[in-house]
Amino acid sequence: MLNQLQRRMLRRRLLQAIPVLFLATFSVFMLMKLLPGDVAVVLAGEQATDERIAEIREIYGLNRPLLVQYGDWVLNALQGDLSQSLLSGESISTTIARVFPNTMFIVAYAILISIVLGVPLGVLAASRPNTWVDKFVMTFSSVGVALPNFWLAMIFVGAFALNRAWLPATGFVPPQEDLWAAIAHSTLPAVALAASGVAEVARQLRSSLVEILQSQHFRTLHAKGLHPRAMLWRHGLRNVSVNLLTVISLLVNRTLAATVVVEAVFAIPGMGTTMVNATLQRDFPVVQGVVLMMVLTVITVNLITDMLYSVLDPRIGQK
Amino acid sequence: MDDTRNKLKTEGLLAHLPPLRRRQFLAGAAAAAGVGALGLPRMAAAQTGNTLRISSYTNPSSMDPAIGGNGGDHVYLWNFYDPLIEWDFQTLAPVPGLAKAWEFTDPQTLVLTLQEGVTFHDGTPFNAEAVVFNLERNRGAETSNVKPDLATIESTEATGELEVTIRLNKPDTALPLILSDRAGMMVSPTALGNDPEANVNRNAVGAGPWKFVSWTDHDKVEGTRYEGYWREGLPAMDNLVMTITPERATAMRAVQSGQSDLAYSLAETQKTLIERLPNLKLVEGPTVYIYQLYLNRSRGPLQDARVRQALQLAIDREAYVQATQAGVGEPARMFLPQAHWAYSQAAAEHVYFDLDRAKALMKEAGVESGFEIDFVSYTDQAFVQRQEVVLEQLSKIGVTGTFRNGPVPDIVSRFMGAEKSGDSMLSAWTGRPDPTQSYDLLFSENSFYNPGRTPPPEGFDEALAETRATSVQEERKAAFDKLQTIVMREALAITLSVRYEVNVATDKVSGFEPNLLGKPKFRDVKVG
Repeated sequence: MLNQLQRRMLRRRLLQAIPVLFLATFSVFMLMKLLPGDVAVVLAGEQATDERIAEIREIYGLNRPLLVQYGDWVLNALQGDLSQSLLSGESISTTIARVFPNTMFIVAYAILISIVLGVPLGVLAASRPNTWVDKFVMTFSSVGVALPNFWLAMIFVGAFALNRAWLPATGFVPPQEDLWAAIAHSTLPAVALAASGVAEVARQLRSSLVEILQSQHFRTLHAKGLHPRAMLWRHGLRNVSVNLLTVISLLVNRTLAATVVVEAVFAIPGMGTTMVNATLQRDFPVVQGVVLMMVLTVITVNLITDMLYSVLDPRIGQK
Repeated sequence: MDDTRNKLKTEGLLAHLPPLRRRQFLAGAAAAAGVGALGLPRMAAAQTGNTLRISSYTNPSSMDPAIGGNGGDHVYLWNFYDPLIEWDFQTLAPVPGLAKAWEFTDPQTLVLTLQEGVTFHDGTPFNAEAVVFNLERNRGAETSNVKPDLATIESTEATGELEVTIRLNKPDTALPLILSDRAGMMVSPTALGNDPEANVNRNAVGAGPWKFVSWTDHDKVEGTRYEGYWREGLPAMDNLVMTITPERATAMRAVQSGQSDLAYSLAETQKTLIERLPNLKLVEGPTVYIYQLYLNRSRGPLQDARVRQALQLAIDREAYVQATQAGVGEPARMFLPQAHWAYSQAAAEHVYFDLDRAKALMKEAGVESGFEIDFVSYTDQAFVQRQEVVLEQLSKIGVTGTFRNGPVPDIVSRFMGAEKSGDSMLSAWTGRPDPTQSYDLLFSENSFYNPGRTPPPEGFDEALAETRATSVQEERKAAFDKLQTIVMREALAITLSVRYEVNVATDKVSGFEPNLLGKPKFRDVKVG
């Protein structure tokens, strides 16, 4: 359970999140409105006439002052009503409830791969600095960081879905419908997304561990005769856990953003594709809803990270 | 102490761990890969039974034909709604649909005779009353987007159980083909609660081959066979799943991997790949989709017909098709492909490549040294390539310019709407079942797609009216000769190329045919 200090921190962070949410949604709303283009033209369709476009603006309230439109959206959002898509009429809450878990499943899968592969590789490199193992891991990491996710995604599709039908080339099955199918559909996108994550985790962990392992504290442990494995896993990793946590939390936010392109390559109905389509068609209630959800996700990830900092290193909470 | 630190730096503190040999490392990596590969489910092409799986390309805007506005909607709507009239795939000439016959008893009266024994998916009988309800809704409801299509209808009346009489305020023989589009797709009045202002935006209820099952935005649309469908033995497949895949390369991969049976509206450049791959087949054909330079004729040098004609003659359309469509397509010499029943040889003669004549026209118009055009267009790679070709070709007669690009809704609303931004827009016209609709929407004075709202040249309105005045196809063709000759002679827009439909299907698919509208229908398509 949370102690008093942690509870206070949680409260403070939640209060800080409110202006962030307003700022993010207001900026996006204004940016969408500042963009040239008119959703009324899209809605009027191929038989558009000037009169019909004006009529549609009236019907959807698109001719009202911007602040009134934003104020309306905020009031409704506070009551849990995120409105509906101007184009398809689907409730935005329904859209988000459907696409958000898809994106988060892939992000979580990618982060898991990043940790499961990145941590041992980082430890391996740090435990043998300046050897061929270290150089191999560091070279692999440089390549992992440098390769664009979408390119890697297409290569994976060619190799593992088209040439060898090991995994599906496109599409997605929600985990609640069929977990194994969800894992099969998510593997290629998650691996493509995780390539840079594995590299990032391995590099950062190696660099932090090498520094720690060369500290006087570790020399003392060594002098005490502690077994090297115990030094590494029990003391080393614990000392770099805060750094590792920071890397992972940044990675979650970055992977969330990177899903936009990877979702397009794999035709995954996720947050990224929804936002891109809605932006292109000026369906601003959908953009607003998705942005709100993404901002909430980032805030939550940061909040959890902050709380875990204080668990891993109690001095942080006290400060 | 320094020695110890140096030692730690060079050897690593954990150098006492058993050394990891290269062979051990490689063996470990291989084992991990092997376990991974064995552990993964082997994805053979999914066994889906009697289901037609299609990679479609755009999220529908609505399941209500009267309300949606996206040109990509038809491919979904035709699965759930049958229109009153259909068209021949090769020529777009009208053929019977839910109306088994139609006749203009006089130039302003159209009588439809309906098919017998047809029901909507909810069991509601399809009869004259249902048709009257739909037509009145389509031309009168506040939310209807198809009102302009039916502007010539004065009244509709059920003159028998299966007979509808449509009275017009002026002759309009384009109406039968207009009724093959959204305006003629029949929605169950019961599903609308007999309320014209209600809608079936998210739940299609028509009399088409499949019953609507679900639509998940940006994901898929599903249907299942309608057992009461009036056409014997159709649809050919029990279930329909259309997966929305905007990225066409991804759609192609879905067919290649066996996850989809077919994908439509691929890029022309994908044709070579389809032909090279085993087990896939190409389904292609011309369409009424025309790439063109829209012109704002209300200002600057583009007001002068000679200048516009010079632009027309400066375009080498053969080279354009080669460069931008990998040779898949044909030069556009009007707003119809050569295969269309109303294609006019007389009009096509005004559209050819002749730089000398183009330069002479520029001189005649007093702009011999050329001028600059403020172009607008779209940001995607294919359009940028088209822009480069157009700029290069026009530069030969001294016409220069730069393109300001953006997403489709931005550019269209700025160029066509009140802002009137730009002199010329490189874009396309997706076409209509009846050419009268296209020429009316593109060039009539108050049309949205006439960016300058410029009055059309002399004789245009009369020629357009003539195309509506007769229902005899040969006579209509003669009227279109006249109309299209005016449009192309006056170079009201610079047509560039005809888009060819490029579709891919697995070799198990049969009955998948291209059509001139470029929007496939699937009821005859069979897998296996």
